[in-house]
Amino acid sequence: MLDVYIWFYTGVALTILGSLGTAIGPGVKDPIVRTLNTEVAAVGVSLIFLTYNHTIALLTYIAATAIITMILLRAIVRLEEVGAEL
Amino acid sequence: MSASLIIPTLVSPVVVSLFVPAIFTGLIVGLIGLMAIAYQKNDLSALILTDIVGIGMLILVAAVGTDLAEALILPGLVVELAEILAISEILMSREMKKKGKSAELIPLPLSMDMEVMTTAPTFLAIILIAYGAFLSGFTGGAVAGGGILVYVLSKRMRGVPADTWEGIAGVSGIAWCLWLVGFLLFFVFPQYWLLALFLAAFGIFIKVAFKAGLIGVIGREEFSKK
Repeated sequence: MLDVYIWFYTGVALTILGSLGTAIGPGVKDPIVRTLNTEVAAVGVSLIFLTYNHTIALLTYIAATAIITMILLRAIVRLEEVGAEL
Repeated sequence: MSASLIIPTLVSPVVVSLFVPAIFTGLIVGLIGLMAIAYQKNDLSALILTDIVGIGMLILVAAVGTDLAEALILPGLVVELAEILAISEILMSREMKKKGKSAELIPLPLSMDMEVMTTAPTFLAIILIAYGAFLSGFTGGAVAGGGILVYVLSKRMRGVPADTWEGIAGVSGIAWCLWLVGFLLFFVFPQYWLLALFLAAFGIFIKVAFKAGLIGVIGREEFSKK
């Protein structure tokens, strides 16, 4: 039973740390650093899903996170090419 | 107040003991995200932070810990994905109008003109669609949609006739009706549950597959415009 709690609370800590890092972490003026910080929170959520045995949700979430990161990076690169203030 | 009155006995005690911490985690994460959005002056940062708010929402749903939670997380993910895609498109088009410049549709540092893109896509698409049909349901639809997307994106030079795509959009609507009929059958005639299950599974399969394929149509039209 101890294992389950270890996974769950590691997930909780990673999620909160990751979201704090995305909000006020070092170097978040750069949007790429901010996007990469969301990945920490995403790993935390994956661990929480793992604790609850949400297999399909976990698989879909991993795919969705990859696609969301691609969309965000594409938006950042395109906005920088246009010369918008970031 | 005894909790056993509202919690069915088949929910495992581990899930019940994790409920309160999970709810609080979801609320804290959502609050951090919303506060950060409130203090942002930059639109792009706000867009990235919506991802965090979405994560808080997912934890809140996951805290239920049953099959219901799993069934609710999947549409939540799709909605979050569509929302971020739409808002990022709006941001980009607004900035482009403001600056009067345009950037590449898919900014890539290397050219994607590879041998594989001309020889393999038919084979890859057939395998992905067959495997998706075998999986059925939501996941199978995503796999088969990926197959259609690969085919369209790699064959975009040759171009697929516009009528075909309009027909596919119609089939997508009919599949949606199949899904609804299957869902209704569950409640009206529970003894035909197998028929209802297959109607719902393959309705949502065709629906999701063609939705993902439609992304390819938009991309193809953008490409042929240039």
